[in-house]
Amino acid sequence: MHRTEGNIAEIEFLYREHGPALLLFAQAVTGERGRAQDAVHQVFLKLLEKGSLSQVVDKKAYLFACVRNAALNDSKLRDRNTPLEPDSAWFRPPDRDYTGEQNLRRALEALPNEQRQVMVLHIWGELTFSQISELLGLSSNTVASRYRYALAKLRDSMFAKENYCAYF
Amino acid sequence: MPTFDDERFEAYLKRFRPLVPEPLPAVEPSLRARRAVALGAWAAAAVAILVLGALTLHIRTNRAHIAETAESVGNPERLQGSQPLTMQSANALMAKAPSFKAMVDGMSFRSQAVPLPKGKRSAVAVLGKEKIKL
Repeated sequence: MHRTEGNIAEIEFLYREHGPALLLFAQAVTGERGRAQDAVHQVFLKLLEKGSLSQVVDKKAYLFACVRNAALNDSKLRDRNTPLEPDSAWFRPPDRDYTGEQNLRRALEALPNEQRQVMVLHIWGELTFSQISELLGLSSNTVASRYRYALAKLRDSMFAKENYCAYF
Repeated sequence: MPTFDDERFEAYLKRFRPLVPEPLPAVEPSLRARRAVALGAWAAAAVAILVLGALTLHIRTNRAHIAETAESVGNPERLQGSQPLTMQSANALMAKAPSFKAMVDGMSFRSQAVPLPKGKRSAVAVLGKEKIKL
């Protein structure tokens, strides 16, 4: 497979388009922004070396799978129980809602790893349950179930009873 | 089945955009650099070929000139003129002369025979005529 201007432009476009969600997903897996960044870069640099994604049918799902593998490989080399970084931001908050960003991050951190991955893939990666099930090697029902649990936990963690209606 | 609350909560979550990753490390420049190197290599090869061609041509021309000069210098008859004896002409004589005698004859210094102005004499000639007692 040869590198051409077209292939490089396509890969760069995919990086711009899905880079933020891929980075967030890698952060959800590794728990560390630096390692997440490395995993995403590693995947895209390999793609640039190989030259093309033309044979891949579902490019977005493929990229998430690659980033997951890279992040897990990296995690195998290090301590897999590394806690998530408490102070590094994961999101660009709407209307400078930094408290909301911190609440969301903490709520995500509190989720079990497998639920957190499903959550990030569905909400910010915009993958369907079917795509996620293929990516994680689970049934669609399991994925949907994990998602429902995660969503409920996230809502409970983010909003105490008194400000439950903050987002309405 | 997602409830209405779930959908609104999802919409709320999506308002938080993930951070943009850092740009890929020097992908574009490295490609350009490789192209520049390739282009430079081609240019260098072309220049090398031109230089070699020019050098070959120059050497051939020089060889022809040297051969021509050697031939002309090597001719003993050419020494009969007024040109001074040099190492080059002596070598040519040694190579070309038919015998040792002919070579020595050819190498003998010739008088310059510069005509003196009227009323003047050569000091060498005067000294040559004087009988000096030692």
